Amino acid sequence: MSALLTRLIPLIGLILIAAIIVITRRAWVPALSHSVPSIWRIAGITVAEARRRRVVHTVIILVIVILLSMTFFSYLSPQEQSRMIISSGLTAITVFGILLSIFIAAFLIPHEVETRTIYAILSKPVRRFEFVLGKYVGALIVLAVVTVVMTAVLVVVLLVQARLVPSTPDSVFNPNLGAVLFAAFMNYCALAVLTSLIILISTMTSTTMTVISAFIIWTVGSMQSTFRDLAEKAYGGAKVLLLVIYYVVPKLENFDFRQEAANYMPISIVGGWHAVLLGALYVAIALVIAGIFFNDRQV
Amino acid sequence: MRTYRVSRWSVWLFVLGMLLLQVPLQEAIHKARPDKFSPTRRMQTGSMFGLGPTPAVIASLGGFRTVAADLLWLQMERVWDSGNWFALLPLLDAVTQLDPHFVLAWKTYGWHCAYNLNAESETIVDRKYWLDRGLEILQRAVEANPDSWEMVFELGWTYYDRAHENYRAAEYVRQADKMPGAPSYVSRMSYRVYEHIMDFKNLFPAMQQALKEHTDEHAHQRIVNRDIEWWTKMRDDPQEHRRQIVIENTARQQRALPFYLFPNDPYWVVCEHDGLPSPKGSKVCQACGRPLPQALPIGSSSQPARG
Repeated sequence: MSALLTRLIPLIGLILIAAIIVITRRAWVPALSHSVPSIWRIAGITVAEARRRRVVHTVIILVIVILLSMTFFSYLSPQEQSRMIISSGLTAITVFGILLSIFIAAFLIPHEVETRTIYAILSKPVRRFEFVLGKYVGALIVLAVVTVVMTAVLVVVLLVQARLVPSTPDSVFNPNLGAVLFAAFMNYCALAVLTSLIILISTMTSTTMTVISAFIIWTVGSMQSTFRDLAEKAYGGAKVLLLVIYYVVPKLENFDFRQEAANYMPISIVGGWHAVLLGALYVAIALVIAGIFFNDRQV
Repeated sequence: MRTYRVSRWSVWLFVLGMLLLQVPLQEAIHKARPDKFSPTRRMQTGSMFGLGPTPAVIASLGGFRTVAADLLWLQMERVWDSGNWFALLPLLDAVTQLDPHFVLAWKTYGWHCAYNLNAESETIVDRKYWLDRGLEILQRAVEANPDSWEMVFELGWTYYDRAHENYRAAEYVRQADKMPGAPSYVSRMSYRVYEHIMDFKNLFPAMQQALKEHTDEHAHQRIVNRDIEWWTKMRDDPQEHRRQIVIENTARQQRALPFYLFPNDPYWVVCEHDGLPSPKGSKVCQACGRPLPQALPIGSSSQPARG
């Protein structure tokens, strides 16, 4: 992309955002004092409902079992063992985090609509976008707790193995805790983005389609660099389509630091920070659109 | 109280503005993580022998490449014990394609070709083939992991121990020594590469340089001082020269490599047929009786020795 375009595009974006914020300030400034408590109440209800759901407890138990089973590779060298535990552990946290995110977020709004409990909620002075935001915040809190538990188990396994596995002159068990914690945090940010997209899709389609779409988004989002490479080689309509997919679908690959953690490579904090900012943008976009669609929906 | 509603157009314009903002952020991420997103990383997913998974398979695994590499690595461990060394090639090829930053896999892959398969080969042509493949693999490993001193050192070590290309080995070992995290034995290796070929012009400066590094490691300082003392004493000992010539050429013979003729040695002339030394001025080899090369004028050599 040319240097001029690279500067012009974000400038236009910033001007648009600033202009809209200023123009609409009379609408959203007073709404803040009313909306925040409503959002928190709905988030609290969402967390309480999630605590009662067995899928959350099942996932946590499964992940603990899987992480503990990583200690069975005692025939490998200490360096191989540490790499295996880190990469498999972080992947288990990712996989089960995705599953949990889908099973929690895909049923949040459709379940309320199907059981008609949404009428009771919306009859109160709760705006529809507050309902959507509250559900999202509640899902985030549940995911945060589960991610913290899973990461804590992984850290404990690494620390215990670091003590138990004897080092050899050319191979040492290095738990690489800093990188593991960073990778787990970035994984949580990826789940936050995915959850916002699942909530967006759930405001438009059925639960089944939401679940299928979530898996597709995760797969496509993890292959963004491949789409960019293909777009560079393509031409005509195919190039445009690939570029649209590349720029519109969130790039979940940006949040993937598992390879760096497993291979003891230096972690780019700048890359991580930019990924978080990018994720926040996608979350904002998804929730705004979700608010619009849910506002227009006939429940 | 008057309430204000936000128009739908302003909301969509807000969304458009946010979409436009993600472009520079993504470009910044590409610059911050070139090993993951730079265009040249594509060369890391190419197979050495056309054996491993296709790029399409690798791409479709998305975020699970590291785990796939781990599972294949476990399988490689099982196949290793079976003794079927050629079956390891597609496994190692796949592991290094799936995770190009798995340094141990690259080291094993390069070593397996340059050592195991090289030793298993029955003809000189096959031996050279596997040695060259091993070096090529390690070269690719260095390109995929330019910040890893282990990878650079492994390449240097293979040039020294297997290929007996001491000057090329010296380049890589010196490069590894300058990289962060390199231990003291890398510094010592940077002069050991010159020992067996008795290149004193490079050996003594390299030893002095090694002495200036790792000054807080007593063992390193002791070893380097011991080596400096030894070579200062043995530099002009004809019997030590003979011993080193025999050691070097015996190792080369075992690797089916051409003999090193030690062109500038002041005491011995090396036979190009059996690699053994005869006293300077001899016309025929004392071991095999074949004619020896004529004495060369000072400053020239029969082999293009570097350094």
